[in-house]
Amino acid sequence: MRLLNYTKQLLIILLSIFTLSCEDMVELDPPSNQLIREEVFNNKATVKSAMTGIYNELFQLDFSNGYRSSITTLAGLSADNISNISTTNLSRMEFEQNEISPDNPDNLNIWSSAYNMIYITNSFLEGINNSQELDQDFKKQMDGQARFVRAFAYFYLVNLYGDVPLILSTDYRENQLAFRTPKAEIYDQILSDLEQAEEELALDYENGERTRVNKYTIRALMARFYLYTENWAKAEELSGQLIAENGTYELLNDLNEVFLANSKEAIWQISPIGGNGISTQTNEGNFFIIDPIFSFFAAIRLEEDFVEQFDTEDLRLLNWIGYNESKDAHFIFKYKIWNSTEYPIKEYSMVLRLAEQYLIRAEARAMQNNLTGAISDLDIIRQRAGLDLLADLNPTIEQTELLDEIYLQRRKELFAEWGHRWLDLKRSGRSSEVLDDENSLWEDTDLLYPIPETERIKNPNLTQNEGY
Amino acid sequence: MKNFYKRGMLIIMFLLAMALLVMLAMGQAKAASLSTPSLFYQQPITGTVTDINGKYLPGVTLLVKNKQYGTNTDLSGNYSINANAQDTLVVTSIGFKDVEIMINGRSTINIVLEEDISSLKEVEINAGYYTTTQRERTGNISRVKAEEIENQPVVSPIQALQGRMAGVEIVSGGANPGMASTIKIRGTNSLRQDGNYPLYIIDGVPISSVPVESNSLLSTSGIDPLNNLNPANIESIEVLKDADATAIYGSRGSNGVVLITTKSGYKYGTGLEARIYTGVSTVPGRMDLLNTEEYLQVRREAFQNDGVEPDVNNAYDLVLWNQDRYTDWQEYLLGGKSEVTNANLSFTGGDENTSFRLGGSYFTQGTVYPGDYDYRKWTGDIALNHLSKNNKFRLNLKINYGTDRNNLVGNGNLDPSIILLPPNAPAIFNEDTTLNWEEWGAAGLTNPFEGFFNTTSTHTKNLTSNVLLSYEIFNGFKLKSSLGYADYQSNELWKLPARSYNPSSNPENNSFHLSTGRRSWIIEPQLTYDKKFEKFHTEFLLGGTFQTNNSTLSSFQGSAYASEALIGNLSSAESILNAKSSETEYKYAAIFSRIGLNWDKKYFLNFTARRDGSSRFGPNNRFANFGAIGAAWIISEEEFIKNNLSILSFAKLRGSYGSTGNDQIGDYGYLDSYQATRGINGLYPTSLANPDYSWEVNRKLEAALQLGFFNDRVNLGLSWYRNRSSNQLVGYSLPYITGFTSVQANLPATVENKGLEIELATLNLDKNNFSWRSNLNVTVPKNKLIDYPDLEQSSYSNTYREGYPLNIALLYDYNGLDPETALYTVKDINNDDKLDFEDRVIIKDLNRQFFGGISNHLSYRNFNLQFLFQFIKQEGIQTNFQAGINKNVLSSVLDNDRYQRYSASFLGGKSYRNVLESSFPYEDASFLRLKTLSLSYDLSSKILDRVNLKKAQLFLHGQNLWTITPYTGLDPESATSDLLLGNLRSITAGLQLNL
Repeated sequence: MRLLNYTKQLLIILLSIFTLSCEDMVELDPPSNQLIREEVFNNKATVKSAMTGIYNELFQLDFSNGYRSSITTLAGLSADNISNISTTNLSRMEFEQNEISPDNPDNLNIWSSAYNMIYITNSFLEGINNSQELDQDFKKQMDGQARFVRAFAYFYLVNLYGDVPLILSTDYRENQLAFRTPKAEIYDQILSDLEQAEEELALDYENGERTRVNKYTIRALMARFYLYTENWAKAEELSGQLIAENGTYELLNDLNEVFLANSKEAIWQISPIGGNGISTQTNEGNFFIIDPIFSFFAAIRLEEDFVEQFDTEDLRLLNWIGYNESKDAHFIFKYKIWNSTEYPIKEYSMVLRLAEQYLIRAEARAMQNNLTGAISDLDIIRQRAGLDLLADLNPTIEQTELLDEIYLQRRKELFAEWGHRWLDLKRSGRSSEVLDDENSLWEDTDLLYPIPETERIKNPNLTQNEGY
Repeated sequence: MKNFYKRGMLIIMFLLAMALLVMLAMGQAKAASLSTPSLFYQQPITGTVTDINGKYLPGVTLLVKNKQYGTNTDLSGNYSINANAQDTLVVTSIGFKDVEIMINGRSTINIVLEEDISSLKEVEINAGYYTTTQRERTGNISRVKAEEIENQPVVSPIQALQGRMAGVEIVSGGANPGMASTIKIRGTNSLRQDGNYPLYIIDGVPISSVPVESNSLLSTSGIDPLNNLNPANIESIEVLKDADATAIYGSRGSNGVVLITTKSGYKYGTGLEARIYTGVSTVPGRMDLLNTEEYLQVRREAFQNDGVEPDVNNAYDLVLWNQDRYTDWQEYLLGGKSEVTNANLSFTGGDENTSFRLGGSYFTQGTVYPGDYDYRKWTGDIALNHLSKNNKFRLNLKINYGTDRNNLVGNGNLDPSIILLPPNAPAIFNEDTTLNWEEWGAAGLTNPFEGFFNTTSTHTKNLTSNVLLSYEIFNGFKLKSSLGYADYQSNELWKLPARSYNPSSNPENNSFHLSTGRRSWIIEPQLTYDKKFEKFHTEFLLGGTFQTNNSTLSSFQGSAYASEALIGNLSSAESILNAKSSETEYKYAAIFSRIGLNWDKKYFLNFTARRDGSSRFGPNNRFANFGAIGAAWIISEEEFIKNNLSILSFAKLRGSYGSTGNDQIGDYGYLDSYQATRGINGLYPTSLANPDYSWEVNRKLEAALQLGFFNDRVNLGLSWYRNRSSNQLVGYSLPYITGFTSVQANLPATVENKGLEIELATLNLDKNNFSWRSNLNVTVPKNKLIDYPDLEQSSYSNTYREGYPLNIALLYDYNGLDPETALYTVKDINNDDKLDFEDRVIIKDLNRQFFGGISNHLSYRNFNLQFLFQFIKQEGIQTNFQAGINKNVLSSVLDNDRYQRYSASFLGGKSYRNVLESSFPYEDASFLRLKTLSLSYDLSSKILDRVNLKKAQLFLHGQNLWTITPYTGLDPESATSDLLLGNLRSITAGLQLNL
């Protein structure tokens, strides 16, 4: 009996010690290398770091980093400016042949990295808007930049894939079964984000670095947005605002300086500082340049029909296009630095630049039948390229002919930058006509990339684009 | 040769050091062991105890009948006891039949004991917090003993278990020394790959079973956390499988528990044991690939078929390279021999109250790859047991320390796909031993051995220590506490000298550094109470666990060292890049109890329960309860069996049911947090957060029958189990539109593992100095996803199928060759002119159909022969049949209309990719393998006496000597890929001496 008592007492003591101490025994502080989201947004310094994080990740994420799976490379391959040197990379070959299979890994990379960036910006926007600790001015500056980046990602998604899910929150429970949102609604969202950001942001570049987004950056993308949505007046107005800002932005006469860090022509660039420290130069330089000794690394060449389009005295041919003998191939030479670790970084990856704004205005004016205005804008580009002026050669050019000339100049000016050629062909309805010649496997449904198969496996609400 | 000499010197130095240590200890021990009882006036009687083969038996108990005293034989089987001339000696030893011997005035009596198989059922089995016996256990516990492990030339003891236990699947991690094997106990319970690790417990201290991170060649499997344990210092390994055995481990018992008990000191006198073996290992398997002539012929035909003109870009092997050159890349890469050497020394001693063991070992193994690389391990261990004179206070101390250094070629690219290089590819090295860049570069390729001069050196240290203190407060009532501390450190230096890379790319001298640490302490206070009420026997246990684990990881890169010799010396690096560190903590607290009841050693009941708290879950979900009930009925004790069925010497019916949990998920997954970006000064979210997830629960049911026939000469065990793991804790797969691919969450799914385990142990022959025993184990497992509400709507809708195993492939239906293009076609099931997951209608089960092992143990006089056959029935994949591209392929593609026409075209590649996703590349990968073969010879006692040795044994050991399989890949054990290498063939020879 005594024994039972003992046991009972001991049991009670043990149990009470246990229940009291257990809660504490399994309490933990967060780990040293993580910051709780709420805490990030309670403090200006960490919010700024999170903003820097967004810019850094633009250089890491596939769609925007200018490397193998970037829009620059893949949308470039889809069009008629560039092609693969080696035919063994099946995934990139599919882009070149406009035969992208739904399980193409590069296609998934574009999609996944763009949505990852959208998550990062959504998380950032929720963070600052829920925070009680930040002042309004600061919040606006941060809000505007994040909205721009989100709009930028959607701009490419909607143009490459058509209808895509519109994700504006971080709640995966809600988002995982999202349907595709009609293109028009995505465009509405892009516009509203851009308009709000335009109001919120300052005119200056933070720290003078053109990697940060300011009011003009917003307007530059808005100008392109209106061009794509055929709101010519708005496109003309906004591009005009940038062109007018000639203290801040100007076309550089030396074509070899256009892609330098913070060049006067740059409206927005992505800095390789976001890399992991090994390659501190642009991926465009590393990936596109064919080094005379290391030609075996070469993956991408310029198509010969494209190179032949240039007049022999075109400065862009002379400065932006290189030739490698052992591969007998022309290559993209806009960026000059290949495989170097020198610091500070000399070149930034260009996203938006003034030349495009001239071309936007030229096209917008031409569409509004202001042909003289259009010619004068186009001539600024031609002049810089060392070509004779259209105003001298053919001042009475017809509208359609002029538009053809604008498209040709866009092709020559903006090649191997962010898939301009692919999207130009698409929005002007010329894809089929142009690419059918080039590619026997062409079908009109190739205009949109397939929704990645794994996405459709995981989210049965996603429909596939026609033709896949 | 120089290397061999160095190794030899090391071994000798090591042995000398150990001998010195032992001599010091012996001096002490001798001083301590002079207390033989001499209370009686009778005459001393001396002698030896041996088995029927003349082998000395240590630790045999000799009692003087009807008097309250006795003695034990020492390590050499000698005894000395004082008794009257008319007394009778009672000689007992576990595993042998008791003997009574009349003294009849003799002063020297040599005793021979006969084996008793049925008494083997009395051997104590470790069940973790308590012990049981084979006869009385209510749960399912498999056991492997020292003698089956100690001579195997393996790094981690886990590898030594292959084929030896029913229900335990072990797949080797790879051919490099130190790679982590995967071990699965009773199948795949969790949908997460890394949620299926069992719990490892070494002498009461839980050790993380998750492989350790590495940047080296070990990175594919990770480093086995048990590498630093000396397999020769393991007394036994018990694997706990069913609910009854595992529920007391609560939230960590779901995937089974591996209990490793290291050797203890010996109570009966002092002894020294030295063992050394050495041998070589080679890669046993080869694929049947094309030679140059065949390969080039295939290539040429491919271009002809495609109507394409070969040129420098698409056919450098035809246009540029020497058409007569031939390299057998398999021989080149895998043809090497690796030396293996192991030396062990242990010293043990003590008496009934105090005993100790000191041990040390050295192990080294090379690699089969070209170059001079090796693995070295040193271990040391101490065990100390003490029992106070009044038998109340008990102390058990175990300390195991091990350190190893793994030097490997530091080239991540040195993977087995090198064997598929075109056989006429140019030389790897120039004549001056630098890498040949020119010829490879001319073809637009980099040298496949780029990075060859890189090295990795992974240095790990591991300390596991545990002390168990126990005090008997009053009769049957004990207070115990176990205190454990474990510290694991791994430091890795990866050197990347510039000369590994093409000199014209201006490569720099770089280094990568990676350190990981795992530290844990555990305190487990326990109360136990044993009480007998006549036939009713009770055992109570109540305990608590408090555990904290700290894991650290740091890595960085040193870049641009001025010279190769300085690599790793951080002060001469131009910059330090990519510094990363993390520190995570895991806390765990629990209370557990057990009630064991039995009536007349006939009816047994065992209740176990545990309440667990783990920091891995959000604040609302930290605690949960687990428990089990087990019961056993020894039918053969019943009179009706005893009287009517005389051939049935033993029969037990046993069953258990209960729940266990699984908390193996990353720490802090519930936190919504930001981390540093790889670029400077940024922060970003790296994962989705879910604050609400909780444990996986695994409900286990088992029914079993244990039978012994013909005086236990034939023992049969049949176990049927059914485990259902629900509330699956997974990285729930999400579409990228959510920002990431997964989030940790509980899934409303149930996975069932069902199976039958058969164990048969027989004594086939036992007479005239010859004995032959056999053991057979067979497991027939069945894995099934039995329930998944709304699978169709979930992200897993096209990964899993209800009613099928987890490990399946959803494949296209192969439709033969296209009559026009002669390319592979697969069926477009829904006729929508495209191939996607809707057309993947073939469900292929990739699990083992059954597996097991047959071991035989034969002994004749002083010879012992043991061998183990392992067998597995399963399917594997063979993908090397894309004939026509610039890669070598199986020679079976030659003129074989099973395969598509030779082609190097885009379309050919596409159809090949499609056919890979059909059942076409699967083939039978079953195998029967002579896993181990061991022959030993013991020197006879006459010789031993003359040289004053207790034991001397010569042995030969073979590992993976012979495999029969229809599989065409490298190793059928790793048939998930044709290029994986799991097991080396080793032959070793050695010598053991006992002083």
